Amino acid sequence: MTKGKKFLAYSFLTVVSLLSVFPLYWMMVAATNKSVAVSRGTLMFGTELLNNTKKLFASQNVYAALGNSFKYSIVMTLISLFICSIAGYGFEIFHDKAKDRVMSIILLAMMVPFAAIMIPLYQMFSKANLLNSTLGFILPSISTPFLIMMFRQSARSFPVDIMEAARLDGLNEFQIFCRMFIPTMRSTYAAAMTITFMNAWNSYLWPKVIMSDANSITMPMMVANLKSGYVTDYGTLMLAVLLCTIPTVIVFFLLQKSFAEGITGAVK
Amino acid sequence: MKKKIVSLLLAGAMVASLTACGNSGSGGQASGGKDGGAKGGNELTVWCWDPAFNIYSMNEAAKVYQKDHPDFKLNVVETPWADIQTKLTTAATSGKLDTLPDIILLQDNAFQKNVLTYPDAFKDITASGIDFTQFAKAKTAYSVVNGKNYGVPFDNGAVVACYRTDILEQAGYKVDDFKDITWSKYQQMGEEILAKTGKPLLSCQAGESDLIMMMLQSAGGSLFDKDGKPSMVGNDKLKKVMETYASLVKSGVLIEVNDWDQYVGTLTNSTVGGTINGCWIMASIQTAEDQSGKWAITNMPKLEGVDGATNYSNNGGSSWAITSVCKNPDLAYDFMAKTFAGSTSFYETILPKSGALSTYLPAAQSKVYAEPQKFFGDAPVYATITDFASKIPSNNTGVYYYEARDAVATAITNVVAGADIDAEIKTAEDTVNFAMGK
Amino acid sequence: MDNSKKKLSLGQKQSLAGWAFLTPAVLFIAVMSFLPMIQALFLSFQSGKGANLSWTGVTNYVRMFQDPVFMQALKNNFIYLIIQVPIMLILALILASLLNNKDLRFKGLFRTAIFLPCATSLVSYAVIFRSLFAVDGLINIVLIKLGFLSTGYNFLGHPNSARIVIILALIWRWTGYNMVFYLSGLQNIEYSIYESAKIDGASPIQSFWGITVPLLKPTILLTAIMSTNGTLQLFDESVNLTYGGPSNATITMSHYIYNVSFKYVPNFGYAAAMSYLILFLVAVLAFLQMKVGDKRD
Repeated sequence: MTKGKKFLAYSFLTVVSLLSVFPLYWMMVAATNKSVAVSRGTLMFGTELLNNTKKLFASQNVYAALGNSFKYSIVMTLISLFICSIAGYGFEIFHDKAKDRVMSIILLAMMVPFAAIMIPLYQMFSKANLLNSTLGFILPSISTPFLIMMFRQSARSFPVDIMEAARLDGLNEFQIFCRMFIPTMRSTYAAAMTITFMNAWNSYLWPKVIMSDANSITMPMMVANLKSGYVTDYGTLMLAVLLCTIPTVIVFFLLQKSFAEGITGAVK
Repeated sequence: MKKKIVSLLLAGAMVASLTACGNSGSGGQASGGKDGGAKGGNELTVWCWDPAFNIYSMNEAAKVYQKDHPDFKLNVVETPWADIQTKLTTAATSGKLDTLPDIILLQDNAFQKNVLTYPDAFKDITASGIDFTQFAKAKTAYSVVNGKNYGVPFDNGAVVACYRTDILEQAGYKVDDFKDITWSKYQQMGEEILAKTGKPLLSCQAGESDLIMMMLQSAGGSLFDKDGKPSMVGNDKLKKVMETYASLVKSGVLIEVNDWDQYVGTLTNSTVGGTINGCWIMASIQTAEDQSGKWAITNMPKLEGVDGATNYSNNGGSSWAITSVCKNPDLAYDFMAKTFAGSTSFYETILPKSGALSTYLPAAQSKVYAEPQKFFGDAPVYATITDFASKIPSNNTGVYYYEARDAVATAITNVVAGADIDAEIKTAEDTVNFAMGK
Repeated sequence: MDNSKKKLSLGQKQSLAGWAFLTPAVLFIAVMSFLPMIQALFLSFQSGKGANLSWTGVTNYVRMFQDPVFMQALKNNFIYLIIQVPIMLILALILASLLNNKDLRFKGLFRTAIFLPCATSLVSYAVIFRSLFAVDGLINIVLIKLGFLSTGYNFLGHPNSARIVIILALIWRWTGYNMVFYLSGLQNIEYSIYESAKIDGASPIQSFWGITVPLLKPTILLTAIMSTNGTLQLFDESVNLTYGGPSNATITMSHYIYNVSFKYVPNFGYAAAMSYLILFLVAVLAFLQMKVGDKRD
């Protein structure tokens, strides 16, 4: 790139980044201010962080919320990544007409708004005695058409020739998946992990409907609790929102190198 | 080698997570079962949503009750109102009422809808021994369905008009000038204040029908007749309300903002000279500590040339309902009768810390209610509001109240933008009729 | 089954392995999604309040076309879809290819910053967008300073400007999200292809359209289908940003379905029928997109 073009690229990226980061900055500012200062639109850091923290911990079970959110999100991410990636691999590597057709049918599953299937699902889960359980929390979104399709699409660039060699070496199909596909597709796994973790972390409606125990609170539930009263304490609320946002950002930051910086060619 | 480690790790994580979720799954079920079934005869579970307000009050009520019943236990599950509605709808539609707790707090606006839609979900508590005559009549009306009581009234939604005395003074007015007035007098003084101080007198949230409904109820008007049929077309009170609202906006005395946060902002930022809302708004006003002593309250303006017009109305508020699956109804009745529906000292305890004003009339005689409040110019505002509460005309909410409120909100938005009032009222009624399946 | 007698051909064996791999995921989807969907389909032919339902045939399907609010919502969804999805996907592609450049520094920071919006909680993002576009908000102050406006304009108070705010908010929130897929897809393209194209004298724009776009086609298809689905089921922005207003000018189908199910007197049969219209619309669009984009070379 020439210097001029580089300058252009940097300026563009800087502008986009600043626009994107502004709300985070605003949240941080709000979390350090009194409620009334926030509603007066301050943009300067305040001195109320300690007080807001005290108020948050006094009114909400922050540890339980953090613990639950991490537990549900990690369990959900690991299981659904495995189930969906092997399915996507199966759909693409061994594709035939029947499998392509099944794939298009599966896509239908994401096209109905959740509000419409929530009640039948609730009936099913209460019959199976899965209300108020971790399993009940994660089961509905453990296998998603979106993740399956994501792995199916990226499996298209998987170098099929190396599979033949592996078969000659005596590896069975499952071994090929584990030892060849997973390492080669690290960038897809990292991207999928980021997205799945974020979705699990932010899920609200279904968990709220099936969990009726005060101890099963999650981070988004905590945020919702804080803005449900007659008076909203904006400083405390934004501190909670900040706490709810940071883990996803950290997960992204840690994984972004893996999906955005070429490490392919390890197998090729 | 490296690949082997990766796949081993992944497999290990899978097994670990599966067993982990299996374990906690069964653990969760066990505790769920405990909640629903074998809780014994001395525990009640409650869903409500505001730690500073109704949750605090509930816990204090438990303390009061525990004095005579030491083994009584109360389990409050914090659940925002929207989620209580979702969970209630889901459980009742699924026929799984046993997932509900013993007591839930319901918004008054949604009370009749829920009781009429899910009659099996609630207990008729008319003969429970709770004395409903001790509550303000307009308040109890929200939780009475077909002549039967289904709710224990809780917080007060009596409308107050709050004014910034310092801003009024700049235009030469006092709060007393706003007592027992009509809307046209209000607008006239408001215009003068706007001209002299540059500040509107009133703000409200665009696209919401709260102010409209307050004005309508103050004249004893409703969106439905006694049989639950929409009565908007030909409803002179509604038309007068809409004309008044539109005229206020046009004059600049009333400004519309886009959301609740901005509305609270107009109060705490001194953008406006006052507000009109349910008395619970005073808690938000008081977050601006630097405005202490500068606020005062009085009653709201009334409609002109309308039969039955008063200076009193209601907005918001909630009532406790006892569910049909309550394992120990006698305990729940007794608990309610001895606290929310029978203890002045209980209401004295919760008032100073939570500002939770009751609609329990005997509490109004209490000394605590008569204490001067520094923030509001040393006036005994709590006693004043309890007095207001006893003068409010009733409102027929009916089953389709939310539909009607939204339809009216749409209508007023269009009217303010210049549409014809009669045509918009007709459209609103059509919308409600459509929702009712006609 | 006489398969046991015959020896399976390699092709059959692999096909079976494929079925075995996809069975768990498909089973989960069948039980967790299709089973409730079938119940919802039955429900869509019934009508009534709450739990008291009776069979009413196609009444609900006829009803939605007579419902002015739902028709408005349908129109809104398509406005969002047509304007927002192409802008967002192209912007995401441009950002991804910029950030895939080896010579650029601080890429990790830029990527994280651009991803941030979709990780930002709705609560704060809605509050910020509304205050930015308020009558006395930052946007109006800037426009007045620049001389485009003389007094503040109530962006959220007028139908078209409120829709534009929703579209801007959607682009802001989801561009970084889509960029993630493109970035990860780009790792499967050998960097040497770009270098040889450069030697052949191709401009960056030419290699963007000539190399990046065709090779990313599977990923572009994925994001196109997901965004179509997401936009036609749009809920959060309508509920939190504009509350569907002014007077239903920005309400979406999912928002209305939610109101009919949980805010108003519940009418689940009607809600289910409207949901099935969404399914139909997304399915048709996804089918067309697959026809165009899912060919294996």
